[in-house]
Amino acid sequence: MIPRRSVLRHAAHGFGAIALQSLLARAEATNPLAAKAPHFPGKAKSVIFLFMVGAPSQMDTFDPKPALKKFEGQRLPESFGKIQSQFTDGSTPILSSPWEFNRHGQSGAWVSTLFPHLSKCVDDMTFVRSFHTDSVVHAPAMYQVHTGRILMGYPSMGAWVTYGLGSESENLPAYVVMPQPEGTPEGGTPCWGAGFLPAVHQGTLLRPGPAPILHLKPQAGVTPERQRATLDLLQKMNAADTEPADAEMSARIASYELAFRMQSHAPEAVDLSKEPEHVRRLYGLDQKRTAEFGGRCLLARRMVERGVRFVQIYSGGGPVSIQWDAHKDLKENHEKMCGMTDQPIAALLQDLKQRGLLDSTLVVWGSEFGRLPMSQSGNGRDHNMHGFTMWFAGGGIQPGRTVGETDDFGLFGVGDRYSMRDFHATLLHLLGLDQNRLWYLHNGRNEKLTDFGGQVIRGVTG
Amino acid sequence: MRKHPLAGPFLVYLFVTVLCAADFAGDTDKDRARIAARRNWWAFQPVTRPAVPKLNSAWPRTPIDALLLPAMQAKGVAPSAPETRARLIRRVTLDLTGLPPSSEDVNRFLADRRTDAYERLVDTLLASPQYGERWAQRWLDVVRYADTNGFELDAERPHAWRYRDYVVNSFNTGKPYDRFLREQIAGDEIWPGNPEAAIAVGMLRAGPEHVVGGNQDAEMNRQEVLIEMTGGVSSAFLGLTMNCARCHNHKFDPILQSDYYRMQAVFAPAIGKDIPIATDAERTRIEEAKRAHAARIQPITGKIAAIEKPYKDRLTAEKKSRLEPALRALLDQPKDSLSPADREKQRNAREQITPSWDEVLAELSPEDRTRRTALRQQLHAINLDEPEPVPAAYALENTAEPAETHILKIGDHRMKLGAVQPGLPLILANHATVPSTSTGRRRALAEWLADPAHPLTARVMVNRIWQFRMGTALVATPNDYGLLGSRPTNPKLLDWLAAEFVASGWNVKAIDRLVVTSAAYRQSSARDAVRDRLDPDNTTYWRMNKRRLEGEAIRDAVLFASGKLNPAMGGRPVRVPIEKEIYDLIFTEYEADNLWPLPKDRSEIYRRSLYLLNKRSVRLPMLQNFDQPDTLSSCAVRPVSTHALQALSMLNSDFMAEQAAAFAARAGTVPRAYQLALSRLPRPEEQKQAAAFLAAGGTLSEFCLALLNRNEFVYIP
Repeated sequence: MIPRRSVLRHAAHGFGAIALQSLLARAEATNPLAAKAPHFPGKAKSVIFLFMVGAPSQMDTFDPKPALKKFEGQRLPESFGKIQSQFTDGSTPILSSPWEFNRHGQSGAWVSTLFPHLSKCVDDMTFVRSFHTDSVVHAPAMYQVHTGRILMGYPSMGAWVTYGLGSESENLPAYVVMPQPEGTPEGGTPCWGAGFLPAVHQGTLLRPGPAPILHLKPQAGVTPERQRATLDLLQKMNAADTEPADAEMSARIASYELAFRMQSHAPEAVDLSKEPEHVRRLYGLDQKRTAEFGGRCLLARRMVERGVRFVQIYSGGGPVSIQWDAHKDLKENHEKMCGMTDQPIAALLQDLKQRGLLDSTLVVWGSEFGRLPMSQSGNGRDHNMHGFTMWFAGGGIQPGRTVGETDDFGLFGVGDRYSMRDFHATLLHLLGLDQNRLWYLHNGRNEKLTDFGGQVIRGVTG
Repeated sequence: MRKHPLAGPFLVYLFVTVLCAADFAGDTDKDRARIAARRNWWAFQPVTRPAVPKLNSAWPRTPIDALLLPAMQAKGVAPSAPETRARLIRRVTLDLTGLPPSSEDVNRFLADRRTDAYERLVDTLLASPQYGERWAQRWLDVVRYADTNGFELDAERPHAWRYRDYVVNSFNTGKPYDRFLREQIAGDEIWPGNPEAAIAVGMLRAGPEHVVGGNQDAEMNRQEVLIEMTGGVSSAFLGLTMNCARCHNHKFDPILQSDYYRMQAVFAPAIGKDIPIATDAERTRIEEAKRAHAARIQPITGKIAAIEKPYKDRLTAEKKSRLEPALRALLDQPKDSLSPADREKQRNAREQITPSWDEVLAELSPEDRTRRTALRQQLHAINLDEPEPVPAAYALENTAEPAETHILKIGDHRMKLGAVQPGLPLILANHATVPSTSTGRRRALAEWLADPAHPLTARVMVNRIWQFRMGTALVATPNDYGLLGSRPTNPKLLDWLAAEFVASGWNVKAIDRLVVTSAAYRQSSARDAVRDRLDPDNTTYWRMNKRRLEGEAIRDAVLFASGKLNPAMGGRPVRVPIEKEIYDLIFTEYEADNLWPLPKDRSEIYRRSLYLLNKRSVRLPMLQNFDQPDTLSSCAVRPVSTHALQALSMLNSDFMAEQAAAFAARAGTVPRAYQLALSRLPRPEEQKQAAAFLAAGGTLSEFCLALLNRNEFVYIP
């Protein structure tokens, strides 16, 4: 990678404008994405957030409930009261899991047969089984996971993190988002929005292929040389327009240089053809079922390698059949969704580890809620916000643990239950950010990701 | 099994319903003492018109200047030289209309040697219809207006745009601000039957609203609507963060939790409703057109269904054959003969054998797929002629029996404490009361706010006007005059403007005129090393502030330069072409082939940005990248962030390529391009620079693209 200084010199070359150089140097000092020191040393430098759109079922994946078999077809004991979900009211019969569970690794973590690859990585992972959200409707619950509130309009985690830490990458966006090609998650763009933070902190869509970022590619027929010539003209005009004391206008000049660098670096950063065959196979790029999601997981690794701060990947989006939202045909749905993601996610963990990146990269797998132990449409499950599983790997977590639990049916979190505020406090903590020192004044209130505060989950952080 | 998992939640419920209900028994002496202690906060004091100092200086042109100059002198800074006339006309035209001046306007102004030439120019601009459009963009930020509901379905509000046009029209006609305020809070109550007043209360419904299917907690949804109304009015008109007191007494301001719910009770009778405003003839005409339209569509939808049917049937049969035999047998039983349990199973079986739309599409033969696609395209083309809905106001109606308003423990609707009557914040109520009848609550709130003696209303609005024209506000937190908000940098000026505003009959144009004709506004915006050190943030306004245009205004200015701008005003929101990446962000679980129909009349896509469909969940990159607010909370001050994505979309997007080409074709020469984009001719060195660029193989289009990207183009000088 070309160091920033020499790029600036290169940019100034040709019109020898010392003034422009000093403008650029000044702009650098005020770059809102310049890397910032954390509040305290944190092991995690980057985050990869794997979000399973539509809500995987916890009692079919990572939280075995033998009682379901015993009570199969029966109603939930009346003592549970009315369990209102989005479409069912709790009166439908209990449905046992179609999958077997086994213990894996030295940690003996329980994983169902849905995840043959991931089950080999359990010693790097820590499961939290008692998360809960406050809505049984997808979009509000997604907003809560991403932004801390069930409403639209609050900054997403990635926005807060780049606001707090800036970026290590000079040539790529600080915060990238890779949705499912078939469609967006129900919560849509506010899931990676900047909310009331400046727009520079919003997530940037990243796609595989020759045009990974919107408007990255010059119009057809515009060669790099032509574009550079236009840019040189523009920068000369801008230098004439800009007084040295004007940081805002200077920053605009610098933003064009970053855009130009991004144009040459981003296509290389997303070019998976340069990856060796064994790596491509590891992520399942050679198989129809896994190639697409595997490609995005591999991209995530390449982004983290290049200093991108926050990577958000969505499994699922668009038609219900391409979400984890198994209101009916749980078996068919989860086998399909796990089939697409199991090997790529396991590959990502192994690959990061083998490259020595796992310690500094926090990988989180989760969703907006879990699913109910009772059935819907006979062979599916409705939404359950009361207790569900997410897992963590890398980034300085204490691996090999299972934290929190749900009741015998997998319905409610019991004992230590964790809110999204706790989740966010934990994530910030691992990055070296103090939830109470990361704030932004908006409409008369010091807004924070964790609002009135969360508990760092010590079972995860050690 | 262990302890019942619901034991905990049940105890909480018991505690909340039985024990907490006794928790609130009216405001306590402690509460009242808390308020009394804060009564002397500056923003709660009546506005007193300060004497305008008589200064021994030729600089002041207006009382504004006379109030600014002593503050400058106190910091040891002198005002800047007057701005050049050429830059001044560009500044004031961009400010008041959101569009650059034409070169003819500039030449006319430069040739006008009358002493009041500038004032005449200002009067022309204040009278132009673009003035209201410019103001509307700003006001819509404050009320977080959008054309859709937000959240996952994000459906379009087919009548919301009338409120947007109402705002444009109100600023253009010089509507007194107190009337503007009354109309938006209680137009339907004060002027019943008046369509404009009905449209105005659309402000109370401007915020996001969660509309989704399935089991819904109606009480929670209603709370969210009331939170939006209460917070919206507080931010826009009152300048206090009432919503901070929703869960507890305000941590900083003398606002009790009960104050919040008293104010929420003002809106308790107000139910969102589309109020018809069409004449009978209009209604008949549109309903007939709708019937005719349905008749055009029906044969095509019929053909599509016929193509799909055999595939659907085959898939259903296959799924049926895979069912357990016992379940399959149930499918053919008459429903009445079944036990409730079997009926449920039968229902489940039906759901299990019903194929989804994408399963059906996946099965189509290539020929059938082609036929179906053609039919869908035909359908979408016809739908472009869909008659507009029967005109209605996106408005409110008071229910005869409003729900009782309770204080909610930590703002949770399941934790009701004592009931409250509608009322005003105690600290500011000043003996004003709100009736508990269904109708009249909002009117009382509006009258209280529009009282000339209200300490906040005028201060809040003049501060917005000042911020709009000068670039920074006197109170840097224009939605928050509380203890956490900023103190005014020049309290006397703020109060003088507020007093003058009320005395002028709440005349926004009059204040606008005062500000833009002041010597302060007419100063140069150039930096100065010495004064920059003495007053780096320019709090005394020793120079004018340069301001980056909003994304909307940049787009408008680009269209202005290219000559493509369609100046038509008002009407239904317009969709402009979007990139595939953005199209894919439109959420649907269904067929995604017609989610963004473009207008049949292509000149529509060149309308001013104010009229583009503002969809909460899908933002246009060029606007969003330049900090367009997300319309989810009131935006008083847009942040100005600068980043590479702006540069990418300004250099590489189809829109910019097309406009740069049109601009080049229109301009023909470098000097003309300068005139069209920057309202001036090139300086000799710029002429040379351009010649060198073109001689080295650069095209005029590329040159024009650079011009549209330069700082001078995107900044108000």
